[in-house]
Amino acid sequence: MPRLTRRRVTRLLLNAAALLLFVVTIFPIYWMVATGFKRGVDILSFEPKWLPFPATLDNFRTAIGKPFFTMDVVNSMIVVAVTVLVSLGLAFLAALAAARFQFRGRKALVVMLIVVQMVPLEALIIPIYLMLDRAGQTDRLAGIIVTYMTFVLPFSIWTLRGFIINIPMELEEAAMVDGCTRAGAFRRILFPLVAPGLVATAVFSFILVWNDYLIAYVLLQSPERQTLGIWLASFTTNHGTDWGGVMAGSTLYAIPVVVFFLLVQRRVVSGLTAGAVKG
Amino acid sequence: MSRRLRISAILAFAMALLLAACGGDEPSGSGGQQAQTGPRTLTIWLMEGSAPPQVVEAVNADFKTAHPNDTVKVQLQQWSNVTTKLDAAFAGSSPPDVMELGNTLVSKYGAAGALQDLSASKDQFENSATWLQSLTESCTVDGKLVCAPYLAGSRAVIYRKSMFEKAGISQTPTSMEELQTAAEKLMAANAGDKRFSAFYFPGKYWYAALPFIWDFGGDIAKQEGDQWRGALDSPESQQGLTTLKALVDCCSKADKSGDEAKQDQAFAQGHIAMIVANGWEKGVILDPKTGNPKLENDLAAFPLPSRNAGQTAPVFLGGSDLGIATKSKNQDLALDWVKLLANTKFQTQMATVGGVIPNSTTLLSLHQDDPYLSVFDSTAKNSRFTPTSPNWANVEAANILPDMLVSIFTGRASVADATKQASEQITTTLNTGS
Amino acid sequence: MRAVETRRRRLPSSPRRAPEAARQGARARRLRPLVPYGLLAPSLLVLAAVLGYPLYRLVVLSFQQYGLRELFAGTEGRFIGLRNYRAILGDTFFWTVVARTVVFAVVCVGLTMVLGTLVALLLRRLGKRMRLLVTAGLVAAWATPVLTAIAVWQWMFDFEFGVVNWLLTRLGVGDFVNHNWFDRPLEGFTVVVLVVVWGALPFVAVTLHAGLTQVPAELEEAARVDGGGAWQVFWNVTFPMLKPIFLLLTILSTIWDFKVFTQIWVMLNQRPGRDYYLLGIWSYSESFGVSNYGKGATIAVVMVALLMVITSFYVRQMLRAVEA
Repeated sequence: MPRLTRRRVTRLLLNAAALLLFVVTIFPIYWMVATGFKRGVDILSFEPKWLPFPATLDNFRTAIGKPFFTMDVVNSMIVVAVTVLVSLGLAFLAALAAARFQFRGRKALVVMLIVVQMVPLEALIIPIYLMLDRAGQTDRLAGIIVTYMTFVLPFSIWTLRGFIINIPMELEEAAMVDGCTRAGAFRRILFPLVAPGLVATAVFSFILVWNDYLIAYVLLQSPERQTLGIWLASFTTNHGTDWGGVMAGSTLYAIPVVVFFLLVQRRVVSGLTAGAVKG
Repeated sequence: MSRRLRISAILAFAMALLLAACGGDEPSGSGGQQAQTGPRTLTIWLMEGSAPPQVVEAVNADFKTAHPNDTVKVQLQQWSNVTTKLDAAFAGSSPPDVMELGNTLVSKYGAAGALQDLSASKDQFENSATWLQSLTESCTVDGKLVCAPYLAGSRAVIYRKSMFEKAGISQTPTSMEELQTAAEKLMAANAGDKRFSAFYFPGKYWYAALPFIWDFGGDIAKQEGDQWRGALDSPESQQGLTTLKALVDCCSKADKSGDEAKQDQAFAQGHIAMIVANGWEKGVILDPKTGNPKLENDLAAFPLPSRNAGQTAPVFLGGSDLGIATKSKNQDLALDWVKLLANTKFQTQMATVGGVIPNSTTLLSLHQDDPYLSVFDSTAKNSRFTPTSPNWANVEAANILPDMLVSIFTGRASVADATKQASEQITTTLNTGS
Repeated sequence: MRAVETRRRRLPSSPRRAPEAARQGARARRLRPLVPYGLLAPSLLVLAAVLGYPLYRLVVLSFQQYGLRELFAGTEGRFIGLRNYRAILGDTFFWTVVARTVVFAVVCVGLTMVLGTLVALLLRRLGKRMRLLVTAGLVAAWATPVLTAIAVWQWMFDFEFGVVNWLLTRLGVGDFVNHNWFDRPLEGFTVVVLVVVWGALPFVAVTLHAGLTQVPAELEEAARVDGGGAWQVFWNVTFPMLKPIFLLLTILSTIWDFKVFTQIWVMLNQRPGRDYYLLGIWSYSESFGVSNYGKGATIAVVMVALLMVITSFYVRQMLRAVEA
């Protein structure tokens, strides 16, 4: 009997901790969504209103109604999709090389990949701008796509390399003994096993690009070529902040990421551990 | 096989997107043709919120009549981090042809050679003979005119008439002493409201602190030869700040470390009697979404009084100017566009529709029938500017004045110590050779 | 310059190999030395093109006096050798900022890793439904974009209308009415750390939890049977197995938290006071605030050097693994 009670108490404590954790992680998100639905007078009230009733869609309407909102969405989608897909492809090839082959400069490559991640983005804005300017690529989506790719590639290559290293070569070699070509072995054996790693890397790239504001702000000029990061910043003017609009906008802004996450979450986790436990 | 198809499909999709990103873009800026006869594009950067859209459209329409083959692209920029964007744009090969610059930024960019010298074309501007003094000063770098005055804004005290009535204040203050008395009366009348501020003053609001400094005869910095010396630690400046501190201590519940960005929304909450504000801030207070439209008939304004009864304190004249980039390939078009926006017709519209102070003294009478706006126009006549040094923007970027005010109001430093430190910092920053 | 495949075992010549594959094999063997370089080429090209020159420029800038005039005219800055470096290293403010950045990073990384481990352990012990709930919360926090998170936390800690001030006053913790959290840097940094850790914790927790599932339960059972307490079991059995991921996550977190910029910049409305300067913010402010690009570049270079020193131990370990 005593042991049962102890287990029940432990269980209770654990569940309480879990509940607390849940509240702490989810409350800011609830607060954001709720504020998006509140009327202005309820938002700017000294006594917080816990539930957004009476609710209003005004904030969302303002957010969506901002000029060029649709273009911003399209541009963001294009930029993210191209950056993630192309960098994934390039990084996979490079990771293959770094993981499976011995060649001169391999050590230097790995060191370079890590060191490059230590450089603060903000320090490179002007030189990058000047370079793109010389190439006529400022105020072009291609310009910022290429810029984002350079920030995404080092981490992607490094991570994918870790995954590939942990997949034993014997599997591919067995396939080749059975008549597969090297490329075929890659495609049939390696690729499916590395898929979770690809997904994990894709998620990181997605987030890095989706999170960016400064680079897009400096490199893009025309209103029809802005991205959503800039749109989100536009709710704060020197006339004050439209908190309802910011929260509604933030909610909308977070949706694609959350959706993407929920779709791939299980893959991401399995991918991270497959490569990670062995370091 | 299906996997290969899938991969190929993804790659093809990516290529398609990449092509979509590259192709179909029109060339940006005006870097296109050099030929005089080909159609040209004029790129204009205006700051978000400064010009009413109708005015801009009207200017573009007039421009189109004069230049039927050329296109005008107006792009609105946001204030936050704008200097970063300007730095990058001016450094590149095709910056915008025309840009609106906050008047405190002009010196920095003019001295660095980003703005075209317009001295020779000054007479071509319709109002140039009667341009507002301090705006013109802000446009003058090394004796050269590098931009055209565009619009101005000055500050006065916006107050709640009903609160004044309730506290038994029949006349708006005409001296600083009367202001102090009125504020104390208001605090007493609203003693039950813990959040009540008679004179709401956010700590970092240096624009509103300047009148106190100037009125007592002090200044931010004085020029001695070609060197600047910080003057905030002079006895006069200190006196002004001490007077302000007394007002803040007794009668302001505003955030002593915050800035004035949210003061209009706070004012609309109903626990504030007076704020120091620009004319256009009334619109924010009455905004149906973030403010309280019901206050419309309860708002009025009076100029910040001087310590000498009957006079007003000198106010800081904020504003924007229009500059033309030296690297612009359409200097002539740019000049025409700027001349349009700066002329009487459109400045009148800016004043009447936009509620801003126009760039010419002759137009200051436009608001004389508006009891509210005329207050702000009158204060513009007694206005001063920040030191006209190319390094002034760096003083602003380093937050020297806001930080000084915060340490004074929070009590972390005495007025004497805070001003001494700030003056030293200003002296160093303004005199940095470039 | 021979590229050799790692861990290649000599296979006995197999008669089952189709002649087609054998021919392909021969051709492939001739091209093999070039394969890794070919695979690397596209990535390295992009990196060299867009990152190479700016990085080179950054280092060169740190040795120059370079302001707006040079930027706009496109001229070279004035070469001043090590003057920028000497000025910075001799400036007490620099050492303050370095100390502040290091402390900030240590606190963020420490909290993230410790709390992340605890959450991972908790997740392992929970029932299926509770685990799902907690994971859902973690994923939601993880997926929230940084700008969004900053906006929400800023709003929750708002001076006048923030829910935190209201809650703390209500709970009797003190009078938090109209309390500005960013008035005192210590409190301000508390908010920033909260935002950073809130966003970083889920990734660490979920990854460590997944790693934990790979730790064989029998080992832990055995240790417990041998009389080990909970802490001893964890430290002597569980943790060593987690060590590789743990190390990886710590290093990644260190690099990211050392470089924190956006959270502080945006939460303080683009105008942080000098008490809030971290290395990244100082570098940006020197470059774009006062247009001293040379000094800004110097600070950035020093920042990278510092990070390299701090993570050098792990990098060396990694290199050893590369050679294996």
